[in-house]
Amino acid sequence: MSFWEKLSKIDRRFIYFTLFLAVTIPLIFPFNLRPKPMPPVQKLYNYIDTISQDKTLVVSVDYTPDTEPELHPMSIALLRHAFARHIKVGVLTLQLLGLGLAQDALATVTHEFNSRAQTNSDSIIYGRDYVFWGWQTPVLVPILGMGENIVGVFPVDYYGNRTDTLPIMKHLKNYNDVAILVSISGSAIPFYYITYAQTSFGLKIGAGSTAVQAADFYPYLNSGQVTGMMSGMKGGAEYEEMVASKLGVPGRRKATEAMSSQTVSHIWIMILIIFGNIGYFALRRRKK
Amino acid sequence: MKVRLPLFIVLITGILGAIPFLIPHNIVQNIDNEFRNSVLRIIVSFSLVLGVGSIIRHHVDKVTRKREHWEYSWILLITLLVTSIIGLFGGIEGNGRLPTHIGNFHFDIQTIYMYMAVPLMATMFSMLAFFMASAAYRAFRARNLEATLLLVSAFILMLGSVPLSNYILPKLPGFAEWILMVPNTAAKRGMGFGIALGTLATSLKIILGIERGWLGGTK
Repeated sequence: MSFWEKLSKIDRRFIYFTLFLAVTIPLIFPFNLRPKPMPPVQKLYNYIDTISQDKTLVVSVDYTPDTEPELHPMSIALLRHAFARHIKVGVLTLQLLGLGLAQDALATVTHEFNSRAQTNSDSIIYGRDYVFWGWQTPVLVPILGMGENIVGVFPVDYYGNRTDTLPIMKHLKNYNDVAILVSISGSAIPFYYITYAQTSFGLKIGAGSTAVQAADFYPYLNSGQVTGMMSGMKGGAEYEEMVASKLGVPGRRKATEAMSSQTVSHIWIMILIIFGNIGYFALRRRKK
Repeated sequence: MKVRLPLFIVLITGILGAIPFLIPHNIVQNIDNEFRNSVLRIIVSFSLVLGVGSIIRHHVDKVTRKREHWEYSWILLITLLVTSIIGLFGGIEGNGRLPTHIGNFHFDIQTIYMYMAVPLMATMFSMLAFFMASAAYRAFRARNLEATLLLVSAFILMLGSVPLSNYILPKLPGFAEWILMVPNTAAKRGMGFGIALGTLATSLKIILGIERGWLGGTK
């Protein structure tokens, strides 16, 4: 086999092994790469930053563990932003497997804030500052039902408390009291929010999506039906960086940490594609 | 009757599902609320029973007949049983009636989920990166103009989605954003209109009983 043939037919095991190194080595020895926020992320951040005290941010944790590395940092960054700005938060999930992830994001961020709190007003208290409604299905029931009466859709929260007894719910009746709903998902759930909650109730929608799926949201971003979005791990890293640099909120930034790994692996895949094309053109010229 | 009854149910529920978006009258909205909040939820809860029932039946059958890889079915059945008991009686974070820790060793449902389900599912999904890298290397060849355009776009988007591009080519992320915002949006909108019209036509055919493939059978 000639050199050019070898270049165009690299063994897949070599590709797997080198990609494994390209992913893991930068994770162990990361280099400093600060992402610059792109307009969709900036728009989402700016909108959430201006939410008034009487309105609520709703975070819909609609992803499952398979996309956790890419999407979980988005939830954590959003919660950090909201709690740092004393914005009330409602959390729900439309994916059964998203329950544990939503619970983990809330536990992580509330622990961060409460460990630094000096007074009661600095603390993040369940029922006063945030509520976790839990899971509801099928998707159309909570999406349309919350536009009329949130307590009707979630009579009890994730922990079994009656939602109508929680102080936060006194001023949170339906979508009229929600400033924006951010659906973070690797599936089609944000589209349901756009189709039903945005179109029927005029609710502002934000999205967090995997990089693969991000292209699907641009028509809605372009039309204004989606207020802002975070796409892929880079979108999460951009939001994390803004929360850390503008609000000074400390805490581990997992998406930013993964940027080194993503950069090296993308460049390595591009090099492999270039090798493949060099080999392909050299062989084609020889055949002619 | 076996054909007419399902067709009649589909006709009624199809109409009831569509008209609340067109008629805002209280009677229509109340019927819609009732259907959505009660009937739909009851139907979905039946699907849970059906799903758990069928997975148990399938794997019990596999074990009893010793079909290929029947040993793994035991793992599934035992896992299903154990996690169900812990989830039902152990509470969310070990605060239920069933004790879910031995000393410092915790096995409540949230711990099982975070330290078993999450890594296992994330590992399965991360395998895609290796397959995609291998497939990209083999498939991305600039064979003609269309393939070259695809290749160039992919390169711009791949570079645009890493922060390094901000340092080496500061305008590249903006250009990647433009590709997504303009040519991508144009193509997606066109496809979206086509899909929406197709969905509408197919839905009407099903509601009116013209399309009957979903009934199964050949008659």
